[in-house]
Amino acid sequence: MITPFRSPRLRSVNRPALLALTGAGLFLASLDAYVVVTALLPMLKSVDIAANRPEQATPIITGFLLGYLAVMPVAGGLSDRFGRLRLFAGCLALFAFGSLLTATAPSLSQLVAGRVLQGAGGGALVPAVLALAADLYPAGDRSPVLGAVSALQEIGSVLGPLWGGLITASSFGWTWIFWINIPVAALLFWALWPEIRVRAEPRRPANLDWLGALLATAGLTLLTLALYAANPERSPVGEGFFWQLPLAIVCFALFVWHERRTAHPLINVRRFRDSSFSGSALTNAIAGGGLMVALVYIPVLANAVFSMNASSAALLLFRLMLGIPIGALLGGFAAQRLRSYRFVAALGLILAAVGFLMLSGWNEGSLQPHLLGLPLRLADGELFLTGLGLGIEIAPVSAALLDAVGEAERGAGAAFLIIMRLIGMLVGFSLVAGFALWEFHQATAHLLPPLPGLNPNFATQFAIYTLRVKQAIFDEYHLIFRATAIALAIGAVIAAGTLRPLPRPRWQ
Amino acid sequence: MAAARASLSRVVPGGLALIVGLTACGPPPADASSLLTKSSERMLHLKGFHFQMQITGFTGTGEPVQSAQGDAHPPDLQARVNLKEGAILLEVEVAFAASNIYLKSFTGGWQQLTEDQVAQFFDARTLFDPQAGLFAAMRDTTSPARGNGEKVDGHDTYPVDGQVSAARMHQLLTLIRDQGTYRATYWIDSADSNLWRARLTGNLFDASNSATITFDFSNHDHPVSVTPPPLG
Repeated sequence: MITPFRSPRLRSVNRPALLALTGAGLFLASLDAYVVVTALLPMLKSVDIAANRPEQATPIITGFLLGYLAVMPVAGGLSDRFGRLRLFAGCLALFAFGSLLTATAPSLSQLVAGRVLQGAGGGALVPAVLALAADLYPAGDRSPVLGAVSALQEIGSVLGPLWGGLITASSFGWTWIFWINIPVAALLFWALWPEIRVRAEPRRPANLDWLGALLATAGLTLLTLALYAANPERSPVGEGFFWQLPLAIVCFALFVWHERRTAHPLINVRRFRDSSFSGSALTNAIAGGGLMVALVYIPVLANAVFSMNASSAALLLFRLMLGIPIGALLGGFAAQRLRSYRFVAALGLILAAVGFLMLSGWNEGSLQPHLLGLPLRLADGELFLTGLGLGIEIAPVSAALLDAVGEAERGAGAAFLIIMRLIGMLVGFSLVAGFALWEFHQATAHLLPPLPGLNPNFATQFAIYTLRVKQAIFDEYHLIFRATAIALAIGAVIAAGTLRPLPRPRWQ
Repeated sequence: MAAARASLSRVVPGGLALIVGLTACGPPPADASSLLTKSSERMLHLKGFHFQMQITGFTGTGEPVQSAQGDAHPPDLQARVNLKEGAILLEVEVAFAASNIYLKSFTGGWQQLTEDQVAQFFDARTLFDPQAGLFAAMRDTTSPARGNGEKVDGHDTYPVDGQVSAARMHQLLTLIRDQGTYRATYWIDSADSNLWRARLTGNLFDASNSATITFDFSNHDHPVSVTPPPLG
């Protein structure tokens, strides 16, 4: 997928400056990946959608992921053909245009279209910047640079919800999350223009597997539509589930069939025969689904039940997000020391599962008492533990997959890791969102609100009604978190049963 | 002879252009008052229509509705209404069928409301009431003036601007202030007098702050039948 090739001209440029500018663009796009999770309610209000129709918010989240996934497989090849910087500039412009559409959206359809374009622009930046870094630095010096670029993306994702919450709670309002992207993108474009306009960058025709990309995107789109419960009162899945799901399966089957035959496949599907490869891919997807559940449902729970504003909800989520990079560092270190991917990955997933189980016990008082008189609550620890577990599994699972693909396919393997994580996020979230809302509607189907007027006990009855609704919301979240905990535990079993031990270092 | 041929060659295309031009112009559009009267009559006698109502600008805390959309065959009507609740919106469904009023809130099924209860909430029936509603108010619009043709949802319309008394609009929605006058604009189909959009602007809910109510209509004359929903 990512086919690094060195451009003689690029070696002569100011490499740190070029990488800093493109890295800034990547950071900007990754900030926006999950930025909406703390701004959902005001976004919905501005397009005239009620908070008790949260299913309509689902495409705002899945649209970005789908756009991201659609372009990633072909972006590396496109950057080979058109040049890294030109692709970067084009995608940054697409991202800025998507931001403009989102900020000015008068309707849900424009909001979703804006998010899809943001995702498409932002998704293509990842392979473009990684490939540029590979062009700029020789093989021996490349690792720290690639690590820094990946870290920028991860840090952006972690800070996104906090960034979104702070801007939404400020007097600027949620639209500024997206308005701000436009001048920053313009500034980056202006700074990079001398490099972009130079036509000396050599090109070579890239072998792009357009048919494979089309089949994969069609399959994912159909699967997302099949799982999207547009009317959760009636069904936990989409109305077209029974024809969309088989069609999605057909697309995926055709994709596998095509990938086995084509000379330049997007994914070497034969790798799935290797249990370490398929196990780490599946584990990565499950962990992605778990992360997405936390990212979306913790801020929404904070809004809906604990009556927090966007910035407070973001700060609550930040406790979990903080655990992820710390866990990622610990996971990498522990896997190296213990020389075991499977143990460390399974441990991380079990910790995350325990964290979600603890979250599933939350009630109205969970955010009240402080622990031992300190400004800490048990809930803070539970959130951190969940994030820590999700972080710990990252390094061993990624390393196991990259080891399985070998040196020649490492670039494609790295992109495949991101893709599997995003697929897990997309499918996991779509599935959980539909079933959770359906369950809520089932639980409250006979809970009639008291009516004012001639009712002398209206105040009391309304207070009882409000308590019952809150309890139903809690029950919905308990179900979501328990289901996620079970999925993560299954992921732990898969990791423990499939990941190979670390290979011996070559110099030995 | 050559001069005559040259003269003819100028006259014939010119004449043809004139004929084509006159044919394309068609009959002159009706005046603003006739457009309003015809459109009011047309809308009052439809077998049904789809509507969307959006309230923007300053509405204060007393006005609970942000938007509503549904199908109507007055006095029967079914709609989804978005109510303002602090920083969020909450959606409820209402149905007016066979002189009864029904509400489906965010939990539970349908409940039947009394007249008193619906008066405290939002009586959507008055919006299209034959005497007090929007279509009747079109006839009472003063100083109407027709603007140039405009496209609304792909339809050729003429906007008609005028003034309506606040007391008249207060009948439409009791939360609207009943003092002074408001600006009303109607977008009327030049071919069949369908009303596609109506906009009411002024200090509707507060003496010193402006607000706008916009109605959009579609599915004109598509039969609408509202049946009482099952309770519980």
